[in-house]
Amino acid sequence: TTVTSEQIEHLHRRFKQLSRDELTIRKENFDSIPDLEFNPIRGKIIHAFFDKRNLRQESDGLADEINFEDFLTIMSYFRPIEMNMDEEQLDRFRKEKLKFLFHMYDSDHDGKITLQEYRNVVEELLSGNPHLEKESARSIADGAMMEAASICVGQMGPDQVYEGITFEDFLKMWQGIDIETKMHVRFLNMEPIAPCY
Amino acid sequence: MFLLLPFNSLVVNLLGISITVLFTLLLVFIIVPAIFGVSFGIRKVYMKTLLKIFQWATLRIERGAKEKNHTLYKPYVNGIIAKEPTSLEEEIKEIRRSGSGKALDTPEFELSDIFYFCRKGIETIMDDEVTKRFSAEELESWNLLSRTNYNFQYISLRLTVLWGLGVLIRYCFLLPLRVALAFTGISLLVTGTTVVGYLPNGRCKEFLSKHVHLMCYRICVRALTAIITYHDRENRPRNGGICVANHTSPIDVIILASDGYYAMVGQIHGGLMGVIQRAMVKACPHVWFERSEVKDRRLVAKRLTEHVQDKSKLPILIFPEGTCINNTSVMMFKKGSFEIGATVYPVAIKYDPQFGDAFWNSSKYGMVTYLLRMMTSWAIVCSVWYLPPMTRQPEEDAVQFANRVKSAIARQGGLVDLLWDGGLKREKVKDTFKEEQQKLYSKMIAGNHEDRSRS
Repeated sequence: TTVTSEQIEHLHRRFKQLSRDELTIRKENFDSIPDLEFNPIRGKIIHAFFDKRNLRQESDGLADEINFEDFLTIMSYFRPIEMNMDEEQLDRFRKEKLKFLFHMYDSDHDGKITLQEYRNVVEELLSGNPHLEKESARSIADGAMMEAASICVGQMGPDQVYEGITFEDFLKMWQGIDIETKMHVRFLNMEPIAPCY
Repeated sequence: MFLLLPFNSLVVNLLGISITVLFTLLLVFIIVPAIFGVSFGIRKVYMKTLLKIFQWATLRIERGAKEKNHTLYKPYVNGIIAKEPTSLEEEIKEIRRSGSGKALDTPEFELSDIFYFCRKGIETIMDDEVTKRFSAEELESWNLLSRTNYNFQYISLRLTVLWGLGVLIRYCFLLPLRVALAFTGISLLVTGTTVVGYLPNGRCKEFLSKHVHLMCYRICVRALTAIITYHDRENRPRNGGICVANHTSPIDVIILASDGYYAMVGQIHGGLMGVIQRAMVKACPHVWFERSEVKDRRLVAKRLTEHVQDKSKLPILIFPEGTCINNTSVMMFKKGSFEIGATVYPVAIKYDPQFGDAFWNSSKYGMVTYLLRMMTSWAIVCSVWYLPPMTRQPEEDAVQFANRVKSAIARQGGLVDLLWDGGLKREKVKDTFKEEQQKLYSKMIAGNHEDRSRS
């Protein structure tokens, strides 16, 4: 990867700040970021850091704590596109990022986004609005799920039950959206000091 | 053994003479001017010399870096990642457009909506505004303090020698001098105010009390080698008003009180602070609260109101941020002092970090360590601006008034005006803030949903 050593140093400093100079971070350490409280899916984002699927570990489930290497692994999902990537690399890049988002939806790790999980995400995203009743959030989620079903499976018979969105279906829904150009966090270049003569 | 004896007495004599000389110099050049409030301008000359030395040191570092063909990096001021300036609505619209081609006016949820929040979340995890404010501001040129150097590997021999000399001067000469001064200042304050306290109330007592306070604060200012520039002194706070300032360190009190006569507000502490506080209150009415009383906001407000309404009493000095901020921004002002209804005299204090970083990171350093750091810095240079008085307008409430004052202070001092609560350093975010972003999004999605019939 083309993450430079300065960027890694920055991230390391940030890691140390979050972990209060310890070697690992736990979920509680993310509580020290006030801006994150703004975010409705805060829980899911933090969860994503500890999700073993994202950490590319063989086992499944959640880790209790992550070290700096794991932190970098998660951050690597958000690295920007490199200019010299070919088709195959780009495709893999895109799939990786989408898999990260898929894991956010699929909270029970069964490889499918069920109606309940979908509802869960919508409710969280809309949870800030006190005027919105739970029923409305539910019906929005149901509507969206039906729509997803129609894209993935086409017309369903009256007895057919849609089990859930699999990763392939998920990919279909993101067709046309250039996620790989948007899902990244860019580092500002450090300005070099102009030497005086 | 014989040889040592005369040598010993010689050393003792030399020591004795040098100490006497030192103290005489101290008295003449520092304490006497402090008493009368005049200045010889020694500190300004000192400051100019130091600046020249710092410039030279920075040049050497750059030259060293050039020789090795590296580029030096200026520590980041604006954060390490590029944050997109687009808003929530624009981003979600854009993603939807490229995806399913649906417009935003159909209030439905899209799978891709999660993306915006996800990215924002990761951005804040990598780098956020608020936590940055709480660590010491990062400098551009090196000020010969090893605390503040990031390009350490480019230091040549000459520079190291200079730095070593600097350490020697600061720790062996300046530090004992400053400690001696501080000691003198504090003991004079305690004894002076106690003595004045025995006098009967009247103009004589007031006059003496004012001058004792001012004199001791001036000595303390010199003890820290604080070089202060006051601007707009005609706006200085008057009786019956409240003086409000931004807070960077406990030294703020000394800086303001050496130029004006204020009534302090605060909690009674134990130990040395407590002794000082109890002595001060004998000479003039400061407002000290017991620990238990501090929690009772109505009691606090009542006492402050009483004090303010008595026109013979001094202006109150308050720091509404509630905690020390690192002097690059001004955080939310607590509304308590703005509800009282007195005239508010805002004051902006801005420190120049080149000579010594005055910010007190109370979670990192205790009070004693902090004072030690202060006394071993080169100097504390700051500017104080007295802003014109403000009163609460009839149509605004206390919070709006507080924000107005805060903006004025931030603008004058060149500090960033932030909405965040300074108390965040220690506590968690209040729930009201959490709802903003969520509300916006849910309004977008479900805004018209109540009108649509449920299918």
